[in-house]
Amino acid sequence: MTENDRLLLNAYIDGELDPAHVLELERRLAEDRALANERARIEALRGAMRERLPRETASPALRRRVAALARPQPFAVNWRGGWASMAASVVAAFAAGSIATLVAIGPGGREPVAELLVASHMRALMASQPVEVTSSDRHTVKPWFNGKLPESPRVVDLTAQGFPLVGGRIDVIGLTPVPTLVYRARLHVISLTALPLSSRASASPHAIEGYNIVEWTDGPLAYWAVSDLAVPELENFAKAFRAGEAVP
Amino acid sequence: MDRGDNRTRFANVVIPHLDDAYGLARWVTGNRADAEDVVQEACLRAFRGIDGFSGGNGRAWVLTIVRNTAYDWLRKNRSATVIHVDDLEAIERMQLADDAAAGDNPEAALIARADEAKLEAAIASLPALFRETLVLRDVQGLDYREIATITGVPIGTVMSRLARARRRVIETLGVEK
Repeated sequence: MTENDRLLLNAYIDGELDPAHVLELERRLAEDRALANERARIEALRGAMRERLPRETASPALRRRVAALARPQPFAVNWRGGWASMAASVVAAFAAGSIATLVAIGPGGREPVAELLVASHMRALMASQPVEVTSSDRHTVKPWFNGKLPESPRVVDLTAQGFPLVGGRIDVIGLTPVPTLVYRARLHVISLTALPLSSRASASPHAIEGYNIVEWTDGPLAYWAVSDLAVPELENFAKAFRAGEAVP
Repeated sequence: MDRGDNRTRFANVVIPHLDDAYGLARWVTGNRADAEDVVQEACLRAFRGIDGFSGGNGRAWVLTIVRNTAYDWLRKNRSATVIHVDDLEAIERMQLADDAAAGDNPEAALIARADEAKLEAAIASLPALFRETLVLRDVQGLDYREIATITGVPIGTVMSRLARARRRVIETLGVEK
């Protein structure tokens, strides 16, 4: 049984396999005893989990505390909107990619830097805000990284070029915490991450799950810009960032 | 959108998924008291960010926030237990034992009989990213696309983690003790 057989078998049991693969797998299940045995074990596990694991329910006390959030509060909770369309585009990208991904199963498991960066970008878009420090002032953003990371990143003001600064956050790529600056281009969000050059991937893909990636190096650092912005615009952003004057 | 609307949206979007939120937090943190703290914090984040919910799959949206909150909580309170991607890759590279044994299938019967405590222990011993994938699929019944959205990885990675998680639990439970 190959690794790919296992993935197909699991997807089959979960009803996630496309019809062409279903027929092929059912034919093989009839002939291959080891595959059929593995199927029986997975089904047994699913059945046991379904029947024996208790259904977790939130306690009445927790329910009350959460429900209190939905009642009128004496203090003002203020949040500016605008992330809705971006979160929607994340979901749409998955919807579009799902079938193709199921058919084209790779060896799996390996996650190159570009994928991790795209994942961080997507997670950030889905979080309540895409930054941990919100400021359009580079003199606020740069010091925020001090004390959290050995070196704070180069921060450039690109408002005049149409890319206002939104803020910054720290992403963890592999085991390395790295600084990410978040810029905006109209309604699009750009995550710009500075990585030590050693963690640079050999291949440089230009799109993953609908997100474009533009990469360049500057001294000891590799810069990766991730966004759903079109490639020419993202390259303009990269050019402007390289040419910009950084905070001393 | 004014705050009254936000409260109504929160009540409609978040509160129906409170049990799922708590269930996921319980499996990620490993205990009930911590899960309550995580869910409360996650609900606060969800309330503040309710404008960011664009309609559609409310459960996936809520569980994404719960998951992120749970990992933030783990990083802050138990940094040693969070599995980093590098560790996970090392685990994923491990050769899975291939049981070519055709014929009888005694493990399936053993697994089918596993009691709650054994199941709990086997699932709890999985690396965090395998455990969450298995729980989202087989306890909470989410599909691959929803799990990919919640965990922020491609569907291929969801498939790989799920297959490995199940295999490891099967190996743990399928041995007579």
